Amino acid sequence: MADAIKAMTSRERVLAALNREPVDRTPVCNPTSVATVELMDLVDAPFPQANREPELMARLAATGYTELGFDTIMPVFSIIQESSAIGCKIQWEQKDNWPTVKMREPIWETADDIKIPADLCTHPDTKCVTEAIKILRKEYGDEVAIIGKTMGPWSMGYHCFGVEPFLLLSLDDPGKTKLCLDRMKEATVDFGIAQAEAGADAITLPDHATGDLVSGEYYERYLRDLHIEFAERIPIPIILHICGRTVDRMEYIAQTGMHAFHYDSKNKPAESMAIVGDRISLVGNINNPETLFSKGPEEVSAEVRENLEAGVQLVGPECAIPLQTAVENLKAIPQTVRDWHKNIA
Amino acid sequence: MAEIGDIANAFIRSEIEEFLERPKEIEHMVNMFAASSERMQNIAAALIDGDNGACDELTKGALDDGVTALEVMDDGLIAGMGIVGIKFRENFIFVPEVLACARAMKAGMAYIEPILSASGVEPIGVAVMGTVKGDLHDIGKNLCIMMLRGSGFVVHDLGVDVSPDDFIEAIEEHKAPLLGMSALLTTTMPNMGLTIEAFIDEGLRDDLRIMVGGAPVTQEFADDMGADGYGKDAMACVELARSLMADIRAG
Repeated sequence: MADAIKAMTSRERVLAALNREPVDRTPVCNPTSVATVELMDLVDAPFPQANREPELMARLAATGYTELGFDTIMPVFSIIQESSAIGCKIQWEQKDNWPTVKMREPIWETADDIKIPADLCTHPDTKCVTEAIKILRKEYGDEVAIIGKTMGPWSMGYHCFGVEPFLLLSLDDPGKTKLCLDRMKEATVDFGIAQAEAGADAITLPDHATGDLVSGEYYERYLRDLHIEFAERIPIPIILHICGRTVDRMEYIAQTGMHAFHYDSKNKPAESMAIVGDRISLVGNINNPETLFSKGPEEVSAEVRENLEAGVQLVGPECAIPLQTAVENLKAIPQTVRDWHKNIA
Repeated sequence: MAEIGDIANAFIRSEIEEFLERPKEIEHMVNMFAASSERMQNIAAALIDGDNGACDELTKGALDDGVTALEVMDDGLIAGMGIVGIKFRENFIFVPEVLACARAMKAGMAYIEPILSASGVEPIGVAVMGTVKGDLHDIGKNLCIMMLRGSGFVVHDLGVDVSPDDFIEAIEEHKAPLLGMSALLTTTMPNMGLTIEAFIDEGLRDDLRIMVGGAPVTQEFADDMGADGYGKDAMACVELARSLMADIRAG
């Protein structure tokens, strides 16, 4: 029971929830990004610099804890840091947009082209992440959970081969697709370990085998075993992130041994919990475009409560939030969690 | 009404029996395929199977033998895509399979498009399409464009990362009554609304029909930002474009 547990720090709370152990209250977490333009202005750490300079990255990320009241700090706002280190062309954008890989200009065509550079974890755009984690660990000690991010090979395939060529390859030649994934996985592991060594408590692993693109059977065929391997080789809890509809692959995801799954609002909390049971924690799943971005605190609270009532272990936005999201709406998440626990106590 | 047994191609029959559930759609597909020649059914079957080599060969063979480009396009390629669209909507197939079918359609359309443009057939409508500023994703948009072109629309593709000014310039240049915008990222979705506002500011909104789509976009979001329609997928996009053109013609 929540009321029988002694008060925890944010870090203790998050780690306990990731391990499906008792918590004093449900932790609030966004394993992807809570950066907003408003927060950038508040701490003078705008995009794109906050994606490339460790001090700014750490300063902006810390607002998730200091300003919003979340239990985690996540400094990796985008999904492009290691793709930049690998050699993909990046559109760094401005303050009001995330940086993006130019996937129309792929760098690889076949498995033989795949080369993970020796400086993957010391390239300026990956080192920025490990340095930011070190800064945050030094500043916040054991107070708050610091979460890193390493991209899975399926997402890396989109970046390096282009989405369309990679998806067609997966249909035309499953053997070569598996070979590509097997070669790219080393980048996932290396960057994950580098962030663990820098002080990250847990790591988000986005691998966008989303139901909007591929079937649940695809997840089982191409990714389940790789994700089991990641859980074995990366020495901190992994939070798998896949956007979109994923109910049809949650059974396989629950088999991976990963600690948590960051799930999207296209999946109902109660239905999702019923599938995964106590095999993996769920994180999510407040809708971004229609609720956090477009509506008010009341609607946000309703979605938070739905997750709490379903027993979801960590509550937060479904994905990286739109940069123009109102801070008021984000603050409604921890506030609702606190109120809900008070009411049931 | 035709019977499923009236369709000569066994693969088409099994696709209808296995994947179609809505009575009206079954009736429509059975009637359509039963009325087409076995040769057109074979083209449709190759497309549904994602076999671009067969689609290429069968399309070329049919045209060489004097079948009209319109018949091959309507009764073969587009008819096949109709089944693909339903299978995608119902989650029997996903994007890789649709991309393979699109590749097969493209192989056939490579023969048909030059014939149609040389024949001076009046297009159903003219559209400008693009992915909004800050967004580099285009699979969904490209599928929509392919289906629109296959359905008789002239489409000017502006690509990705398109600014409101570039949309405005293209609409004016091509005198297009239809605009299609796509976004995959929740952070770029607001740029659809900003583009619509830019058209209002330029005094061009009233004469234009605007449709939007993309994985995170919903009907509610489309309504909120003042779009004229939302298409969930490429098939819905074609239906929407046809309906918006009918609105325009009705005045």
